[in-house]
Amino acid sequence: MAMTKSQRRTAYAAMRYFLLTIWLLIVAFPIFWMVSTSFKPDREWFAWPPVYISENATLQNYLAVWADVEGHSVDEQTGEIKTYAQSLQRPWVALGNSALISFIATTLSVLFGSVLAYGVSRYQILSEGRMFQLLMLRMVPPIVLVAPISIWYSALGLLDTVTGLVILYFLTTLPYAVWMSKSFIDEVPREMEQAAEILGASRWRTIWEVVLPLVRSGLVATFLFILILTWSEYLLALLLSKAQVVTLPVELSKYQGSTEGRVYGRQAALSVGITLPLIVVGLIIRKHLARGFSFGMVRR
Amino acid sequence: MTADTTMNAEPAPRRGNSREATRAQGVKRFKWTVLTPLMALMIFILLPAFLLQGYFSFFSFSIFDAGDDPSFLSYFRASTWVGLDLWADAFSDDKFGYAIIRSLLFSTGVTTGCFLLGFGLALLMYRPFRGQGVYYIFFILPMLTVPIVIAYTGEMILYQNGPLNDIIGMVTGTRSEVQFLYNQQAALTTIGLLEIWNWTPFSFIIMMAGLAALPKEPQEAAQILGASRWRIFWEVQLPLLRPVILLALILRFLESMAEFPKTWGLLQGGPGSATETIPVYIFINAWQFFDLSYGAVLSYLVLFMMVAIVMSAIWLLRREKKSLDEMYQASPEES
Repeated sequence: MAMTKSQRRTAYAAMRYFLLTIWLLIVAFPIFWMVSTSFKPDREWFAWPPVYISENATLQNYLAVWADVEGHSVDEQTGEIKTYAQSLQRPWVALGNSALISFIATTLSVLFGSVLAYGVSRYQILSEGRMFQLLMLRMVPPIVLVAPISIWYSALGLLDTVTGLVILYFLTTLPYAVWMSKSFIDEVPREMEQAAEILGASRWRTIWEVVLPLVRSGLVATFLFILILTWSEYLLALLLSKAQVVTLPVELSKYQGSTEGRVYGRQAALSVGITLPLIVVGLIIRKHLARGFSFGMVRR
Repeated sequence: MTADTTMNAEPAPRRGNSREATRAQGVKRFKWTVLTPLMALMIFILLPAFLLQGYFSFFSFSIFDAGDDPSFLSYFRASTWVGLDLWADAFSDDKFGYAIIRSLLFSTGVTTGCFLLGFGLALLMYRPFRGQGVYYIFFILPMLTVPIVIAYTGEMILYQNGPLNDIIGMVTGTRSEVQFLYNQQAALTTIGLLEIWNWTPFSFIIMMAGLAALPKEPQEAAQILGASRWRIFWEVQLPLLRPVILLALILRFLESMAEFPKTWGLLQGGPGSATETIPVYIFINAWQFFDLSYGAVLSYLVLFMMVAIVMSAIWLLRREKKSLDEMYQASPEES
C-alpha cells in the first residue's frame, strides 16, 4: 500500500518530532535534576524511590551556599570544608575570582586577538601556516606542561595569583579569539579603512575607530564565546591555585571532597549558580557559536 | 628616512616608490608591535617551563626531596642525575601504555558518538519547521554547562539509588541496580557517555552551519535529473560537507584526549585503574605521588605524541581549506 506524497511528508514530520523530543528529554533531564535537587531538603537527596519534584521545596541549600546561613569553615592545609561553624562566604569569593580572572583574560584575548586578526586579514602579518600553528596553543592538552609551569610560576611568584591564571587563559584562548574575530573582520569592506587612511587617520586610529566598531557585534560574540571557555576551565585553576585564588569550578570540587559526606543539595545549589550565567551568555550568542569553531571552513 | 607610519594630515606629495616603501615599513612595524607581546609571553612563560621539564626528566626530583626549603633553587639542589633511567621506565610502564590505549579508545568512541548524534540531529533540523528555535536552544544547553558540574550532577543521577536506575526500573518493570560508576567494566563507558552528552551540541552546531551553508544549485540539479533523496545525500551533500565533517571530528577528538574534569572529578582514575586516561595518569604521578620527574617524562612523551597528532590534523585541515578556497575563487558570484 503506497503512501501518497503528503502522507509521507506527515509521517516524516511525526518521526522528526518524535526523535527530537527523545533527545530533548535526554538533554533536559540532567539540568532538570540539578535544579530540582537544589530545592530538596536534605532527607530527600538520597531518598528511594528518588524524589523528582520535591513537595517540601526549600531555599535552604541556596541560603547555606550563597548566603551562608549555616556557615562553614575550611581546613587551611587541605582546603577541605570541615565544619559548618564559621561564616566565610567562600562561594562569593570564588565567584569574584572567577569573574575577575575570566573577564580580564577574555578582554585581553579578544582585544589582542582582534588586532592580530586585523593584521592577518589586511596585511597577512601571519601566514596561513602560522595561523594554523597558533592552534597548537589550544590543541595540545595543558596537562603536559602544567607541572613545570607550576614550578616556574613559583619561582616568578605567579603561583596562586590572578595574573598567573590570566596569562595562561589568555594564551590558551587566543587561537579561538584570533580565528573567530578574523571571520568577522574578513567580512568588513575595506573602503571604510581606505577612506579613513586618506583622511589622515593613523593605523591604530583606523583600527580603534573604524574597523573594530564595525565588527562590534562580532566582537561581543567572540568575547562571550571565550568567556564560556575561561569560566568553566578546571585543570589549570585546580593545579595553579592553592588557597588564595580559588575559582568556582574548583570551589565546587571541594564540596565533593567534603568530610561531611555527600552534600548533593548544596552542590546542586552551587552548580546552578555556576551554570546560570553561562546559559544566559550562550543563548545570547547562539547564532554565532558555530563561527567560534569553524576556522574559516564554513562559508556563508 | 625614518619610518613615518602615521599619515600626515596634508597629503605629502611623494613619489610612488617611496610611498610604497614607507607603507611596507609601516606594516612591518605594526606587525612587530602586535607580535612582540605574544612572543614575549611564549619565551618567558612557556619556553622556560618546557626547558625545566627537560631538566627534571634527567634529574630525579620529588617534592619530598626539597625538605623544608620549598624555594625554587632547592628543587635543583635536591635533584639527582639519573640520565635516561626514567625514560626507560616510561617505555616499560604497562600502566602508561594502557592509559594511552584507554585515551585513544575513549576519544575515538566519544568522537564517533558525538558526530553521529550531532550530524543526525542536524539533518533532522536544518530545514525550517515549527519549533526549530526551541529545539535548538535546548540542544545547545549541555555545551553551556560547566564540565565539573556535569561530573557531579552525573553522579547524582547515576548512583545506585539514583533516578536513572529508577527510570530503567519503571520501563523494564523490575528493580534495576546497575553500578554505572563503581564498576571496572562500565566506568570508562559511563564517562564517555557523559562526555558525549556534554559535547554533542558542538558537532551539532558545526554540522548545522555546514548544512545551512551548502550551495543549493547542485542539489536542485540532481533533483531535476531524478536522483533519489538518498543518492543526493550520499553523492552530492556528503562530499560537499567533507571539510566541515573533518573539522568536527578532529576538534572533538583532540578535546576529548585532554578531558580531565569529568574523569577526575567523578572517579579519580578508579575503580582500580579503569579510568586512568593520559591526563589522569600524568596527574596521579606528578600530583599524587609527587614524582615530578616521572611526570615530566610522561608529559614529554605525551607532548611529542600530541604534537604529532595535532600537526597531522592541521595538515589535513589546511588541505581542506585550500581546496575550499580554490572552489570559492572559481565561482564568481561569491563576494
